[in-house]
Amino acid sequence: MTGIILFKTALAVYFAAACIYGVSLWGKRVFPARLAAGLLFAALVVHTFSFAARWFPAGEPMLIDLHDALSLFAWVMAAVYLLLQMKTKTRVLGAFISPVICLLMVVASVGLGGAVNAPPVLRGSLVTAHVILSVAGEALFAVASCAGLMYLIQDSLIRRKRAGKFSRLLPSLGDLDRINHLCLLWGVPLLTLGGLAGSFWARIVWGSHWQWDPKQIWTLLAWGCYAFLLHQRLAIGWRGRTAARWSLAVFVILFVLLMAAMPFFGTLHRFV
Amino acid sequence: MRIVLIGMSHRTAPVEIRERLQIACGDGGPALAELLGIPEVREALVLSTCNRVEVLARVADGEAAVEQLKGFIYRQGNLAAAELERCLYVHRDREAVRHLFRVAASLDSLVMGEPQILGQVKEAYRRAADQRATGVLLNRLVHYAFRTAKRVRTETGIAGNAVSVGYAAVELAKKIFGGLQGKTILLIGAGEMSELAARHLLRQGVGRILIANRTIARAEAMAAEFQGTPVPFERFPEALPDVDIVIASTGAPGYVVTAEMVAVALRRRRNRLLFLIDIAVPRDIDPAAGEIDNVFLYNIDNLQEVVDANRETRRAEAQKAEAIVAEEVAVFEAWFNSLAVVPTIVALREKIEGIVRGELEKSAHWLAEFPEEERSRIEGVVDAVVNKILHDPITGLKEESREKDELPYVAAVRRLFKL
Repeated sequence: MTGIILFKTALAVYFAAACIYGVSLWGKRVFPARLAAGLLFAALVVHTFSFAARWFPAGEPMLIDLHDALSLFAWVMAAVYLLLQMKTKTRVLGAFISPVICLLMVVASVGLGGAVNAPPVLRGSLVTAHVILSVAGEALFAVASCAGLMYLIQDSLIRRKRAGKFSRLLPSLGDLDRINHLCLLWGVPLLTLGGLAGSFWARIVWGSHWQWDPKQIWTLLAWGCYAFLLHQRLAIGWRGRTAARWSLAVFVILFVLLMAAMPFFGTLHRFV
Repeated sequence: MRIVLIGMSHRTAPVEIRERLQIACGDGGPALAELLGIPEVREALVLSTCNRVEVLARVADGEAAVEQLKGFIYRQGNLAAAELERCLYVHRDREAVRHLFRVAASLDSLVMGEPQILGQVKEAYRRAADQRATGVLLNRLVHYAFRTAKRVRTETGIAGNAVSVGYAAVELAKKIFGGLQGKTILLIGAGEMSELAARHLLRQGVGRILIANRTIARAEAMAAEFQGTPVPFERFPEALPDVDIVIASTGAPGYVVTAEMVAVALRRRRNRLLFLIDIAVPRDIDPAAGEIDNVFLYNIDNLQEVVDANRETRRAEAQKAEAIVAEEVAVFEAWFNSLAVVPTIVALREKIEGIVRGELEKSAHWLAEFPEEERSRIEGVVDAVVNKILHDPITGLKEESREKDELPYVAAVRRLFKL
């Protein structure tokens, strides 16, 4: 019960942060963004407690349904963004990140207070590791895409010699590109490990590493795309505009595919 | 009249006159002592910068004091009265307050919105305070000026954007790279303009500077000055992959940097961002180079446009700033007027009478036991006590108001009785 209240509080504070970020963007002022970053941090803390409240009574991490996964997704995005903000001057990037977090939280709240007893097939540290690692990896890609979108806007402003007030508000291209780099660099290994953990677990409970499940195919596709991007970035030097464009494109394509395939996910891998 | 501001600035006086005064008022020490020696002057502050010399004072007798202050300035500048008269401005009371607030907020500066002036006002105040030249009024006034300046800074965009080509280039570089630490600049052509831009960039912590010039001697001389590295002119394309910012300013008739060169360099530097600044006329860098991904090309007109747009913004922001100044002047005036004697006496009386009335009402139930006649006698005694107690303070306040300038009683009474 406490968990649900905490979750809803976190959602409300995330929403408030997103609104204030919006004000910052609209009014072209940095000050509201600072306030919003503080709120975002407060929301993250409350959100953390909501996990604790859900997990503590169970005595183990509860990552069972869509609610848990999306909630974790949002949590990782917020945490990663706040960490990055400490390293780079990217305050206003939150204006793009926080709405995504809100959206995730709203969708997550649909399954609020769902099953408290995990089915036996979902018990075990391997499952927990699988969910945490995969979700964290995907959340990093989401952050990379938000940064990519902002990069493209800033790039076009500077390129078209429109480096006015709005451009001054947005983070510098260098910082945005660094975020893309860091998110890919950490996201790909995390998703790799998450996928491996999942496939080992699948081997144990279903008897095979691979089931041609739509969700599995989608994840493999996502992994392939981002691994490719990371490779291009490190080996060929896909930086700046190219990197931003591709990160954004891949994210949009994967998101559309996910939405389109959602109805067919009622198969084996239906929990998350 | 109590506050007088007298002085001259870049708007009213040529530099030859300003500098003479400035030397005299430079450290403010002897000048302040002389100011305080004027009998009409109660508090004083001297602000002396390269664009203005001003004396702010609280005085006893208005016009006599103004004449004395003018005399002080003539003596300091060692100039004839007639010559100085044209350059001087004198502001009184509200106008003096408004002028000080505008100066502190950098609305009266040569480059509107430049940040140094507030520091200079603070320094002038610190010096005056050290010499105990300021009192209740100037302390309060100067702090209102600081507050106004801070509000203008945070609530308007007046200081927000570059108004010179060099700064515009720095700002763009920051927008592109984030920090400039560890970045490398290449100067192609070692002209005056490129030197200026390089200076701005170096001040922002740019790491290394390469200089390519047709006459190698000039490149070497400049390299020595900036602790840079000279590069033979014909070999600058080889340096391109290693630099982040290029400033081109040669006198060549055609393009010195071709799109081809830039494309090759970018491949070799693995698409790391490259900022090209072309301040030469005719242009040095092929505009096609700016079409390449991760390359940003600004020519002199582009930079000038940024500067013009910023100037325009500053002008628009200045109007907001003037409104803030007007607001703060009104707030200060309200405080100033509250120091007046009559309202203080009225407020004091009202407060004490309120207390008496309140206490009598509280005691109404047992007072009712007395007959009407005795009750009015008791009330009479209370009133008499109150009037006796208030008599001396009120007389003191009234006497103080006749002297016109020193009002410590008013402030004391207001604080003691929380009026």
